Amino acid sequence: MKKNKLTGAEIIWECLIREGVDVVFGYPGGAILPTYDALSKYKDNIHHVLTRHEQGATHMADGYARTSGKVGVAMATSGPGAANMVTGLATAMMDSVPIICITGQVPRPAIGSDAFQEMDISGAVIPVTKHSYLVMDIKNLAQTIKEAFAIARSGRPGPVLIDIPKDVQSEEYDFIYPKEPVKLPGKNPLDREIDKKSLGDAADLIATAKRPVILAGHGILLSGASKEVIELSEKGDIPLSWTLLGSGAVPASHDLNMGMMGMHGEFAANNAIQKADLLIACGMRFDDRVTGNTKTYSLDSKKIHIEIDPSEINKNVPVDVALVGDLKLVLKKLIPILKDQQNTDWINEIEKWKKESQSRDIINADTQMLYGAQVISDIWKETNGDAIVVSDVGQHQMLEAQYYKHDEPNTLLTSGGLGTMGFSLPAAIGASFYNRNKDIWVIVGDGSIQMTITELATAVQENANIKIAIINNGYLGMVRQWQQLFYDSRYNETPISSPDYVKLSEAYGLKGIRVISRPEIPVAIEVAQNINGPVLVEFVVEQHDMVYPMVPAGADLDAMISRPVHEQFKDAEM
Amino acid sequence: MKQTLILFMQDEPGVLNRISSLVRRRNFNIESIVAGRTEINGITRMTLVVNEPNEAKRVNIYNNLKRLVDVFDVVDATKENCHVREHVLMKISLKPDEIHEIEKLVLGGNCKILDQDPKCMILEISGDESTVEENINILSKFEVLELLRSGKMAMISGDQERNKPFLTRSEP
Ligand SMILES: Cc1ncc(C[n+]2csc(CCOP(=O)(O)OP(=O)(O)O)c2C)c(N)n1
Repeated sequence: MKKNKLTGAEIIWECLIREGVDVVFGYPGGAILPTYDALSKYKDNIHHVLTRHEQGATHMADGYARTSGKVGVAMATSGPGAANMVTGLATAMMDSVPIICITGQVPRPAIGSDAFQEMDISGAVIPVTKHSYLVMDIKNLAQTIKEAFAIARSGRPGPVLIDIPKDVQSEEYDFIYPKEPVKLPGKNPLDREIDKKSLGDAADLIATAKRPVILAGHGILLSGASKEVIELSEKGDIPLSWTLLGSGAVPASHDLNMGMMGMHGEFAANNAIQKADLLIACGMRFDDRVTGNTKTYSLDSKKIHIEIDPSEINKNVPVDVALVGDLKLVLKKLIPILKDQQNTDWINEIEKWKKESQSRDIINADTQMLYGAQVISDIWKETNGDAIVVSDVGQHQMLEAQYYKHDEPNTLLTSGGLGTMGFSLPAAIGASFYNRNKDIWVIVGDGSIQMTITELATAVQENANIKIAIINNGYLGMVRQWQQLFYDSRYNETPISSPDYVKLSEAYGLKGIRVISRPEIPVAIEVAQNINGPVLVEFVVEQHDMVYPMVPAGADLDAMISRPVHEQFKDAEM
Repeated sequence: MKQTLILFMQDEPGVLNRISSLVRRRNFNIESIVAGRTEINGITRMTLVVNEPNEAKRVNIYNNLKRLVDVFDVVDATKENCHVREHVLMKISLKPDEIHEIEKLVLGGNCKILDQDPKCMILEISGDESTVEENINILSKFEVLELLRSGKMAMISGDQERNKPFLTRSEP
């Protein structure tokens, strides 16, 4: 008999291959076993990476997706395996990252019976996914997978979960990969002309503005609109500032780039936003970490919001002109109707603000102790600024944003929206599967690394070419900073011990280096870069260092605590 | 201000779950939700009445509902000439001398006796908001044993193009 039937498990792999997937991050278990069994047939087409925890698998898929622009795929078993994916899904959802999580489910007859390892994962993840499926009929399997990919990557990207009962995986069915393009209920909100009147209104606002500022967000990267944003900035002589996830969207070295905005943003940038008469928000969503107190946020400015997701318009900050659409397409229509402009006075004022803190910065000081800022600044220099950096969450994340000057898009991967500690190591492993020939640096705190340190084993197993810089300050530093500023320095539960990272590296089978003074930094970096594979470098830094500038949560954006002048520069200042 | 939204969505298991999850997550102030089948096979229709004073948030609710993959379309009936009806069942305890009074009320309007025994009676009220409220109010002077409200259903009058939902599919 001619065999044209495939099992559900085989259909899964066939569909993944047709979607262009060549690497899957996952962890097996009972309910997904038929799919892992079928993997033998597809080993030439798909590389499966066995992670050490399902959360790691989701962050790997996420890191892979963020650098490649492709959809990342993670796989897990039912119940506990699926539950471990929730953090990764929420992380991807908040940062609009297209990943697909495939989970096994208990067999259909057992669903609803509290069977062993049963959990309603497709229901549980509703709030943290773009969509979720439970495939109850093998007839729908191929179509569902195809739909899931289309949903994950279209419009504002995001994660999708597909839950597949074990008996659907082992059932047989004729495999026909659906040819027709995916169609979803309703009208695509982007399937219409960009509103002419709004374009005109935006152009008018830009033409009359004297103190305009561009707010550069993650949408620039998702839309691939860096070139257009730079054009807008140069044509209108408009200074710009970026959100954490917009880092690299516009070269840090560009003259009109004021640096990051928000809670730990640059003084010049926040000041300019507050004093502006026009804000042009490009693919950003006025998150509370960038606005500070919305009641006093940039009160004198008109606001233009260019955004793909209509539900973001007027959500946090009311705007005057909304241009809903893909940023690149909108800018391609907007730029030609703009006139060349010059905002010399405004730019000069900003230049003055910019100069204020730079030269007196800690990175220029000759200190006994090592500081996080120095480490990151030196990594930036030693890597010629063209590494891919994956940062974790905390003080080191903010220092990375301030001191690693990204000139290229998609070279910083970080969990911005959810702020998920433990993101960086697995995300970097994921990214390494796309960037075989690029240096990948993980910048991570001693707290964050210990959240997902198990993935060191995965890094070694895959010989992932990643360099892990642990900024060890002996504290959950960012929380300690808040305790120092707002809770009278009562450091409850923020001192945190670490294993001996050099010995630990040895035990895991990778090289470990410890650095305690500044002159050692370039040496360590060179050693690390010359090894093809994972290397861990621990930087032992000043324990009570702070990240400045800082806008306290909920305060006005220009009520900043500035970067203090370092001791060494105090006399010179006087 | 009350906002009346009519949703058209795929009749899929879990779709109600998605709506209620959204309402909870975005902290929307919902007055009533009613859903049921329609003239089209596979499409569920829902009337959602939202009590949200903030205009921007009302727009946000609309946009967030539209963002759900299973939702075909959302029609905002708030400013349209539209019939909003609710159905109420009420069980009241009766003293013999009150029966007469109730019968008068029933004859007077939108109220119907469904069931009667010596001690209590079930009444059915249906109509627009003011009728329903008014009748409940009047009947509240008796001893209410049970009260059950269906929630509001809305239908826009006429057959205007702008109120027609988009019920087909498109490429994302
Ligand atoms: C999973 C998770 N738990 C808790 C937090 C709260 N949190 C934010 S920053 C931080 C401290 C991070 O410490 P570390 O990784 O050592 O970095 P540092 O701030 O010292 O640079 C904590 C606990 C979080 N963001 N994520």
